Amino acid sequence: MRVIKLDKTKLVEYLRSLEEWGEVWGPVRKGEKFVFAKKDPSEFDLTARRTILPPKKFFVPPRFTMFSYRDGRWEEEFDESRRIIFGLHPCDIFGILILDRLFMEHYPDPYYIKRRKNTAILGFSCLPDEKCFCIATNTHSVEEGFDLFFSDVEGEFYLVWVGSSLGDDLTRIREDLFDEDVTEEDIERYIEWRRKRDKMFKTDLDLTGMPEIVEISYKRPIWEKIGEACLSCGSCSMVCPTCNCYNVVDENVFYEERIKRDRHWDSCMFKEYSLVAGGHNFREKRSDRLKLFYTHKLTGFMSQFGKPACVGCGRCVDACPVGINVPNVAKALKGEKVDAIWARGEE
Amino acid sequence: MKPKVGFYELTGCAGDMLNMLNCEDQLLSLFDVVEVKSFAMASSAHDEDTELDIAFVEGSVSTEENLHLLKRVREKSKILVAVGHCAIFGGVQISENNWEERLKKVYGDVNFIHTRPIPHEPLGMFVRVDAVIPGCPINKHQFLSAAGKLLLGTMPELYSFAVCAECKWKENECLLMKGKICLGPITRGGCGAICPTHNIPCIGCFGPVEEENVSSEYKLLLEKGYSPEELRNRMKIFGGKVREVK
Repeated sequence: MRVIKLDKTKLVEYLRSLEEWGEVWGPVRKGEKFVFAKKDPSEFDLTARRTILPPKKFFVPPRFTMFSYRDGRWEEEFDESRRIIFGLHPCDIFGILILDRLFMEHYPDPYYIKRRKNTAILGFSCLPDEKCFCIATNTHSVEEGFDLFFSDVEGEFYLVWVGSSLGDDLTRIREDLFDEDVTEEDIERYIEWRRKRDKMFKTDLDLTGMPEIVEISYKRPIWEKIGEACLSCGSCSMVCPTCNCYNVVDENVFYEERIKRDRHWDSCMFKEYSLVAGGHNFREKRSDRLKLFYTHKLTGFMSQFGKPACVGCGRCVDACPVGINVPNVAKALKGEKVDAIWARGEE
Repeated sequence: MKPKVGFYELTGCAGDMLNMLNCEDQLLSLFDVVEVKSFAMASSAHDEDTELDIAFVEGSVSTEENLHLLKRVREKSKILVAVGHCAIFGGVQISENNWEERLKKVYGDVNFIHTRPIPHEPLGMFVRVDAVIPGCPINKHQFLSAAGKLLLGTMPELYSFAVCAECKWKENECLLMKGKICLGPITRGGCGAICPTHNIPCIGCFGPVEEENVSSEYKLLLEKGYSPEELRNRMKIFGGKVREVK
């Protein structure tokens, strides 16, 4: 992998130059939070922590039309735009790698693949806040899944890892801005920065052995307790970078003389999700649905793909109004103290 | 043959009918593919005898005349659609129990001549309802989506999940997490989370979502410092008779 340097004062100029390849998106502030938006790179917030929605929105938008049927013919609708997403943190890149396995391997999804192939991933290093637990999921350092990765080590330069031939092409657009000369001092500085970053994590979450604990806990009363608090609002699924369930609906757009088939995000937290013909529901109770969610995040994916389907981004911590999130549930299953509305009166 | 359709208003503000009329760009197409037999707000057509394929009914049943009309519409219609909160849940008028007291307070001691008022009820209390289009008022995209399905002879497939899903799709900051009384988690979605998108907490106008977890949201808001009285009042407004608030 090629590693080069970019003068920090040249970042905006460089990102602007990429507009000749595609739309440039990056993290911008929205109230107290952040979102990925198509803005002038000078508006990107380099201190951004997790965005409200993860980058999955670029590859599987919340709702989109797959195809339309008109005059006896159907026609697929593909999003052909080329996009550069700047500012993805390691957890989000790991999230994309998980989606890639789901949507590009056994069951290739043409809508996902089209968008994915037209998207350049420009990672950016970050420092953890109190909600980050990627160190527990081992997704705090990324070695693949990006085209370029910018590390903001202290000093005047970003260290830039070139992760693909597309990444290489993108550096050639403004080759003059980059410096090939990575010095011994730069390397030491980078190693020191990593050490500092790793020490900043405040999480005490330890996911070692979690699959066995989840498996053995299937009938424990704790699930009922969490189920009583769960609002079934689905926010956890919407913001999770690896949740990918969707519903497919047909609409008769009579005023345009066509019928369209749409796909929209769904959640296993919704009662209707597991409703089947005849009115049967496999997971009638909230506690059953929570078990499904957490089994999938912490064990199911593990046995299938060798790693948990959680990347430690902390979005569930940010999104659940009643404190049902991966760290809290994992800790509760391990008998550790949890500060959540459903865990009060325990001690 | 074009499906025969009727639009009827019981007791309500007619806001749902108005939102249907607001589908200006699509309305002519709709009238091209259906035969409108009755639509007081839009047409002088007033054929009360023909059998209908689809009847859209707005408003709560609040008078004897309402009840009479509802039963007649039910008898002659294959599909009856309850349109809007009043028709589905009874509207805000159902949110308190002291009906007689309130009637007296508003009208005083009067003799009702035209028709007699009765305690407000949603349509489902008296007749079979085949489909619903929720909201106060309804969302016009949901109306068009439901109408499209009904025209094909199938049932509408509207969002049955809470407001929060669409609110996340719009990447809004969570107002509940910010300590506001936002009823998103216990309210049926389909509105496009329009209020939270404008930084206004959800007041619940699409009515209770199926399997709403009122007690959890209530407990959460109590912890955030709101009084039981305040929470009760807020949750009752669009709770119909379905929502039980302590």
